[in-house]
Amino acid sequence: MSAAVAPLPAAETCGSFPAGFAWAFARDVKLAVRHPGETLLVVAFFVLVASLFPLGVGAEPQLLQRIGPGVIWVCALLAAFLSLPSMFAYDYADGSLEQMALSPHPMVAWASGKIAAHWAASGLPLTVLSPLLGLQYGLDGATLAALAAALLLGTPVLSLLGAACTALALGARGGGMLLALLALPLFVPVLVFGAGAAEAQAAGLSAAPHLSILGAGLILAAMGLPPAVCAAVRIAVD
Amino acid sequence: MKIAWFYFASPSTFYRLAGWLAPWFFALAAILGAAGLYIGLFVAPTDAQQGEVYRIIFVHVPASWMSMFIYFVMACYGGISLTFNTRLAAMMARALAPTGAMFTFVALWTGSFWGRPTWGTYWVWDARITSELVLLFLYFGFLALANAFEDPRRGDRAAALLALIGLVNLPIIYFSVVWWNTLHQGASVKFTGTTMQIEMLWGMLLVALSFWMYSIGASLTRVRAIILEREGRTLWARALAT
Amino acid sequence: MKPQFYIWMSYGMTALAIAVEIVALRVRRARSLRRIEEERDLEAQD
Repeated sequence: MSAAVAPLPAAETCGSFPAGFAWAFARDVKLAVRHPGETLLVVAFFVLVASLFPLGVGAEPQLLQRIGPGVIWVCALLAAFLSLPSMFAYDYADGSLEQMALSPHPMVAWASGKIAAHWAASGLPLTVLSPLLGLQYGLDGATLAALAAALLLGTPVLSLLGAACTALALGARGGGMLLALLALPLFVPVLVFGAGAAEAQAAGLSAAPHLSILGAGLILAAMGLPPAVCAAVRIAVD
Repeated sequence: MKIAWFYFASPSTFYRLAGWLAPWFFALAAILGAAGLYIGLFVAPTDAQQGEVYRIIFVHVPASWMSMFIYFVMACYGGISLTFNTRLAAMMARALAPTGAMFTFVALWTGSFWGRPTWGTYWVWDARITSELVLLFLYFGFLALANAFEDPRRGDRAAALLALIGLVNLPIIYFSVVWWNTLHQGASVKFTGTTMQIEMLWGMLLVALSFWMYSIGASLTRVRAIILEREGRTLWARALAT
Repeated sequence: MKPQFYIWMSYGMTALAIAVEIVALRVRRARSLRRIEEERDLEAQD
């Protein structure tokens, strides 16, 4: 499945960050497009669970408005978590990951590309869909905007954190449960600030502080986590 | 004179050293703990606002300090084990984790029972409590990850990396009371001085030292068991079992 | 609830946690020694 997509640039003796990033990103996006089941599963789960809550708690408008941002964020979290194993599992299983570790491109480059592709296939659709789900909860326009902005900043962080946890747990027994134990606690701060942004907007306060912290977290995560992912992948393939 | 700096870096030699040291640390822990509890429960005066319930501070704060400190030491050992590819440092990290998790749980539990009479609730999702709970899960994650692989060395490395990644949680716990308006009060004990009554401070410090000595004793004892489990097929280990 | 309840619950759980840990340590040591003995005896049979 993975070998036929794009050959490693064997002719290049000197790799570079943009080339490595672009290669990994294009490859994983192409794979996701060819196997749309994974992406659609994420989206379907998101929509389904977010739609179940109003049915469960009753359609009282004020209650839905209060819990809307939090529920949508939790669904985004769980949906992001569901799609994590596919980031490295197939490549690890068929040996492509080892080959990629030998690539002339810097490891952080293609690791970042993979994570970006994961986000494009999971976090980005969730962000785009969130206004529609927010309407189900009766959230107003400004709150929907804050929610979408928070998701836009937060879901990449989820992908980055999830990538580190997935890479650490490659080949481990205990599979999904272990990954949940590792990833979900690390997701908690993102959830707190992400849902907080929309709730602040709904309460009439500014969402800017929350969004600023999310942005700062994104920058820190984007710089600090890919090297950690690379270290974990090296541990896994050695 | 040539000093063999790394003499005790071998599991077999460290096994004996740890066995010799551990009882002293437990003894210190008992003495300091007795002194601290005596001061905390009988010498320190009743608090003006909280009454007698404030005395939970003498276990809550030391346990919280230890929960963070042990994680930090555990992560350091993890870093050492990754940098120098040593076995013993990784074993020490594994030995510290359960004790750290225990103190984290105690911190959360005692905090909960202190919060009920003073704040009116057993639990609240403020920044410090939430990040302390995340710390507990980090300990569990560390242990789960370390034991999730057939090859213990692979588990060592993965868990060490996880410990290092999770280090970012410690400043969040520590500075959360500065960065956010939370139910938790700000720091009363700083290097520049304290606003607390002197007896209360001494009680807290003595119990904190006691917990620290206890942690060292417990992890030295545990690392001996880990060494036996991992090095069980060596001649020296076999000679131990009668 | 009187303050004594909360104080007892806090100190009690602390003592219990430390006691449980110490017992667990002894059990773990005994188990690892036993396993070494068994393996050694098994190999001695060869």
